[in-house]
Amino acid sequence: MRKRIVSILAMGLILVPFLLVGAVSAKTLKIGSLSPLTGPYASDGTDIKNGVLTAISVFEEQGGIPGYDKIELYAQDTACDPRQAVAAANKLVNLEVAGAIGAYCSSSTIPASDVLDEEEIIMITPASTHQDVTERGLPYMFRMCGRDDAQAPAAARFIKEALGAKTIFIVDDKTTYSQGLADGVKKAAEELGIKVLGHEHVNQGDKDFSAVLTRAKQENPDVFYMSVQGFSPAAMMTLQAKRLGMDSQIVTQDAVFQPRYMEVAKEASQGVFLTYGYTDPTTPEYKAFEERYVPKYGKIAAYATYAYDAAYTLLTAIKAAGSTDPAKIKAEMMKMDYQGVAKRIKFQENGDTGSNYIAFKVVDDKFVPYWDPEKGLLK
Amino acid sequence: MRLDPGSAASFYPPKFKKLCIMEYFIQQFVNGLTLGGMYALIALGYTMVYGVIQLINFAHGEFFAAGGYVGAITLGYLSGLGYMQTHPVLCLSAAFVFAMAYCAYLAVGVEKIAYKPLRKESRLAALLSALGMSIFLSNGMMLTQGVYDKIYPGEMFQGRFDFGTVAISYLQIMIIVLTALLLVGLNILVFKTKIGMAMRATAQDKTMSALVAIGSNKIISLTFAIGAGLAAAAGIMYGLYYGSVRYDMGFVPGIKAFAAAVLGGIGNITGAMIGGLIIGMVEVFGAGYLSSEYKDVFAFIILIGVLYFKPTGIMGENIDDTRV
Repeated sequence: MRKRIVSILAMGLILVPFLLVGAVSAKTLKIGSLSPLTGPYASDGTDIKNGVLTAISVFEEQGGIPGYDKIELYAQDTACDPRQAVAAANKLVNLEVAGAIGAYCSSSTIPASDVLDEEEIIMITPASTHQDVTERGLPYMFRMCGRDDAQAPAAARFIKEALGAKTIFIVDDKTTYSQGLADGVKKAAEELGIKVLGHEHVNQGDKDFSAVLTRAKQENPDVFYMSVQGFSPAAMMTLQAKRLGMDSQIVTQDAVFQPRYMEVAKEASQGVFLTYGYTDPTTPEYKAFEERYVPKYGKIAAYATYAYDAAYTLLTAIKAAGSTDPAKIKAEMMKMDYQGVAKRIKFQENGDTGSNYIAFKVVDDKFVPYWDPEKGLLK
Repeated sequence: MRLDPGSAASFYPPKFKKLCIMEYFIQQFVNGLTLGGMYALIALGYTMVYGVIQLINFAHGEFFAAGGYVGAITLGYLSGLGYMQTHPVLCLSAAFVFAMAYCAYLAVGVEKIAYKPLRKESRLAALLSALGMSIFLSNGMMLTQGVYDKIYPGEMFQGRFDFGTVAISYLQIMIIVLTALLLVGLNILVFKTKIGMAMRATAQDKTMSALVAIGSNKIISLTFAIGAGLAAAAGIMYGLYYGSVRYDMGFVPGIKAFAAAVLGGIGNITGAMIGGLIIGMVEVFGAGYLSSEYKDVFAFIILIGVLYFKPTGIMGENIDDTRV
């Protein structure tokens, strides 16, 4: 009997850490983040997490948020998998976070936002560009980046006006984002009189694209439009395309805006074009961010700036509202109009902040602004 | 980039006509041969182990991934020392030797720890142990090597030959030639040497072969070592060909290679080679002529079709004398 009591008590010790966590976190402001931290998009997901952490560090240096001892980030891994994204969103609901930054893949953001919105938790995506993210009338869904229904026409105009292409071959990897964008580009290209020679799909996670690339090469399009989720499949596709001797111009999109793309694809990536939201690197906001981010996390990539802006906006709104009541936070967010790191931030009625896509060219392992829909070729 | 209106794009009007050209077929054939060769190398490990102890070694895909990593580490180290630029072929050979030796050693260890104690138990126990080992190894690689893609050093092998519109890269040639050499070597080992004879004898009857002084433990270890060595070679080729490796890269090729082994007749070496090539070819031609979206579906339709008419696989026989 005594032994049993001892063992029950010993079992009870397991709970101690949880009790401690409860006691310590009493005055902690909880923020969640949703992004892929493992799998093929882990680099992009980690950038998002690092961007949010940078925003939190800025706030903590300024004395934090009144009424709270500290701000804690609960970074959840979505693995760019809709099921895991829903599980992660449920976890954030249970943690009672004041708001969430994420997710990365549109196919994760959409199901996760249903869960969060039902519990009235503010969600700001730094990276999901599919139009449906903010088109479903969810009151607490916001977006920092641009939309694909703006990106696709911009890309098609770039292909037509700057490259003078007459034919295009499109490949996507069937995610909500990549297929949605590929369909948009196809439609916009046809409207501009560009002939679509083919639109093929590959599977997420494929590594061998030799068959589909051989087919594209056979069609010999002026432009090969590569719509894939993330830099990793993009780098493999670029490498294999160059190895096959395909001389069509490769054009791709925002998910590939990652310095690791050039690290994997090396010379094959030089001269590739992609569309991505314009960020002015000369603003004081950007420079301050750069000074803070680069020594700690390395190169600024993909959506780190947007994640920072999203977290900064959320924390500013919580501070201004003096409460974590979602309606009050939203009211503060709608009032905002300021220059962020990535862009000027002013929310529209549906939660969007507008799109400003331009074309970049890979030159010497860097993304160099090349073409602007308003200004034409940039030099 | 060609932008003149009279370029090839407007030259062939009907869509289908373009795909009937011989060059296109040859290009896809080479692509299929490369992919199929890699599948064949992995499939051999499944089939040899099955032939000897009737175990489906699900951890085999992880030997392939481990081989890719050891190759990447070796090449990275040598290129850091500057040897990669001066003696690329020598460095590559060193990578193959290290990776194959390491994976052979790893496989023997895995067999001793996870399968040998269960040899007398039901087959299901060993199968579950294999699944556990697979998860353990893949997570081990994740923890030690990180979740990111590891970039493969080897820019110097990226060139290609152009024959008209057919482009054959150095890597494709290397993969096809090396695969062929390894397959021939394995055939000689199994069918022409004493060790091979001992392996085939053990596959047929462990007790009987033990009576004629063949140590079955030794032979089983050797089988694991050879299978894992071949998978490691495939891992390096895969890394070089696709430019990077990742901890979970063994899963999908492992499943495809397993399908190839079953298609060829599990337990049969020639069958595994043929099966691997068929799966690679079907995938590439399915994607090239029909739809790249459903390429895996085509491969598995062939598998189901063959098994429906010949449940033992293409080369599989009920009599055991053709086994490893």
